[in-house]
Amino acid sequence: MNASSVSPTRILAVEDDPLLASHLQSHLMARGFDVTLSHDGSDGLRLAENEDFDLILMDILLPGTNGLVALQQLRQRRSVPVLLMSALGDEQNRIAGFSQGADDYLPKPFSLGELSVRVDAILRRVAYERREPQSSAEGNGLQFDEGRSDVAFRGDWVGLTPSEYRVLELLWRHKDEALSKPFLYQQALRRAYAQHDRSLDMHVSHIRRKLQAVGYEATRVDTVWGKGYILTQAGA
Amino acid sequence: MNLPGRHSLLWRLAGALALFCLLLVSLHVDVGRVLIDATSYLPESTRQTLKDYAREAETAWREEGAAGVDAFVQRLQEREQVWAVVVDQHKDSLSSQTLTAEQAQRLDFVRRLEFPVGRPGGTPTFYIPFSDGNARLVMELPQRLNPRKYNELWELLLQRVLPAVLAVIVAVLLYRLLIAPLAILRRQAAALSAGDLSARLGPQVTQRKDELGELARTFDHMAERLQGTVAFQRQLLRDLSHELRTPLARLRVAGESEQDIEALRQRLAREVEEMEKLVGDALELVWLDTERPSLPLEEVDIVRLWDVLRENAGFETGWPIERMPCELPADCRVLGNLNGLAQALENILRNAIRHSPEGAVVRLAGQLDGGQWLLWIEDQGAGVAESELETIFRPFTRLSAARPGGDGFGLGLAIARSMIATQGGHLWAENARPGLRLKLRLQSV
Repeated sequence: MNASSVSPTRILAVEDDPLLASHLQSHLMARGFDVTLSHDGSDGLRLAENEDFDLILMDILLPGTNGLVALQQLRQRRSVPVLLMSALGDEQNRIAGFSQGADDYLPKPFSLGELSVRVDAILRRVAYERREPQSSAEGNGLQFDEGRSDVAFRGDWVGLTPSEYRVLELLWRHKDEALSKPFLYQQALRRAYAQHDRSLDMHVSHIRRKLQAVGYEATRVDTVWGKGYILTQAGA
Repeated sequence: MNLPGRHSLLWRLAGALALFCLLLVSLHVDVGRVLIDATSYLPESTRQTLKDYAREAETAWREEGAAGVDAFVQRLQEREQVWAVVVDQHKDSLSSQTLTAEQAQRLDFVRRLEFPVGRPGGTPTFYIPFSDGNARLVMELPQRLNPRKYNELWELLLQRVLPAVLAVIVAVLLYRLLIAPLAILRRQAAALSAGDLSARLGPQVTQRKDELGELARTFDHMAERLQGTVAFQRQLLRDLSHELRTPLARLRVAGESEQDIEALRQRLAREVEEMEKLVGDALELVWLDTERPSLPLEEVDIVRLWDVLRENAGFETGWPIERMPCELPADCRVLGNLNGLAQALENILRNAIRHSPEGAVVRLAGQLDGGQWLLWIEDQGAGVAESELETIFRPFTRLSAARPGGDGFGLGLAIARSMIATQGGHLWAENARPGLRLKLRLQSV
């Protein structure tokens, strides 16, 4: 995805812990991103306002300025996606972060692998939003109806909810590709993924049951343990 | 306006004020009457003084005639500055001066010494007969002998001072009624803020049935909860620090003795994950216990949720999902918070799997019971002792002797119980013989 763009994706990482910051930088650079590092909030804010970044990773409670305040100020000028990182794992901070415009929230401690998944999910969603809207798809006997937010099999409507429809449509569009939970949350449910969030699992469970109810067996939604979901050919 | 209860302070305040008014009126009326009665007649000493004057006049009349009377009247007037005459039974003056018409008329309004002094403000005129019973001394009552000369003072006392004194007495009574408990409250609140969490108001105040009693009970309840929370958190902090030492100790030993770098990396990842989970769970429990968050409630399809959870558990533990059957009717919908409920059920399920023997089954079943869903999750393990059915919900409880195979930290069930409680539900444990049965009561949709 990054290879397709001419210039590498630019990421601003605002993190005050030097060790964590340098690991962040080397990890993201190894994945082909152009990473700019900033160690304090006001400095990072100035950079974010003056230069064009594709994504900003920001720690809450940085020295210099509170991360949430910085985010609020930035949001008044720029619409760049922001991923908040914080050791304040409680619900209140999470909610406050989102209401002030963060696109995702990653509680510390996190693994670099998890960070990569979140970064990919956000960048992919942004790329999605820029592409041309596509018309209703059809394949393997399932008929997708965007306006109705439902699919039909042999003329029977499955009776999906809009969220379930978006999840199924996304999986369908990327058939045989494992989609991460953070990406499915970002793209289909339009919100950030949290560890204990079961909404997506419930939607998938409903989708499976409803497809089964109309007798559709050509493809099925499989769980990729520890990652997300995938739509595969039955018996494949 | 709603009337307060019959133990309200309102009635005491009203009672005190009514008492005040009644006392005031009755004192005023009764004391006033007593005062008037007491001052309507001449006291004995005054009568004696007047009789002495009469005897003196009689002596002067007998010994010196009209000249003696003249001298006596003049003396009397100098001494008392009052009008006085001496007359015979025909009201003719016995002195050398005859009476004027006005004076003669005045003789018609004289009274005996035993008679009342008449209307207030007037100057009564008395007559005192001589020993022969015919002639008499007629004189105004001298002001100094007037029994009502202090009445103005008395009225001042009755109308101004008495009400003020009564008001002060009633105020002191009310003050004692209201302020004494408040003083105790203030003292205990100060003790509480100084760090003495065992400070309580005690039965002296809490047993009152009025608003102050209510306040006292609220205060004691608050102190109780504060003490409980602080004790809980101290215990949690102690336990958490203790539990963190185990993975830290393993890491230290591995760091010193492990030669294989890959084995060390795996060990590191495992121990860090364990510590992360421990800290995360502890924070979650503290959040649930102290914030008492109100989670948004929604309709939750328990059968689907169990599907999701058992698929997850199957991945984690290698259990086939057939060993986690669901015997609920398909229409089982409860009112709960999806993620909270999922976490609680997941913790219960994991706990059940952990304590299950080889090849055993963990079963979810339930029934609709009076507008609520009663759900239960049964394992086929050894169960716990009756006395420990409550203990398993305490944080960091490990009954490894009774429930072998425990590698968790004992926070799972504590979190589950708090989660269920924040959704208005209830979680408890029973022995299913064999196995443990965890029961949940949740609101139906």
